[in-house]
Amino acid sequence: MVQAEMVEAMEFQALSSKYNVSGVPQTTINDGAANVVGAVPESNMLAELKRIMSK
Amino acid sequence: MATLLNADVVKQIEDAFAPMKESVHILYFGQKDNCDYCPDTQQLLEEVVAISDKLSMEIYDLGADADVAEKFNVDKAPGIVIAGKDGDNVSDFGIRYAGIPSGHEFTSLIQDILLVSGRDSGLSQETRDFLKALTEPVLLQVFVTPT
Repeated sequence: MVQAEMVEAMEFQALSSKYNVSGVPQTTINDGAANVVGAVPESNMLAELKRIMSK
Repeated sequence: MATLLNADVVKQIEDAFAPMKESVHILYFGQKDNCDYCPDTQQLLEEVVAISDKLSMEIYDLGADADVAEKFNVDKAPGIVIAGKDGDNVSDFGIRYAGIPSGHEFTSLIQDILLVSGRDSGLSQETRDFLKALTEPVLLQVFVTPT
């Protein structure tokens, strides 16, 4: 159900542009439903997931 | 051919891998054209896998092995799947790398291997409960740069 993928931004520039990646790390969730910039704590990531899944 | 990992690094990884109990299987997907980092990625993985007998690796081509790529939802090369192995059974935990795991990402690679070997996410109970209740898939793509 959950897939977590590290994407090296330089090698996959089209994808980086698609999600407007500038600062890294950037966690793009479900093809852009949310974007979290920075290395955030688990609770922040969970809050973001809850936010988008409830829509 | 020169190794990518020097003796010091290999020793550190050996020490980190020593406590591993469960086996880890790496699926590597390369492609012949338009993949500057494919050869180095493959070599890096081979050197890491050689360090512990709890690790195994299978090399695939994104084009020639399109059926396997589709099964594991891999569409980019170099592509890496870090899976569990129990006997002949490969368990997919949804962990993927797209691109060469260099710099900080190399540490992540080693830690992910240990994570999969431990067969536990290490997440809080609240997060586990949330994930268990999911009815739709979640895709997390973490964009990084090689420094």
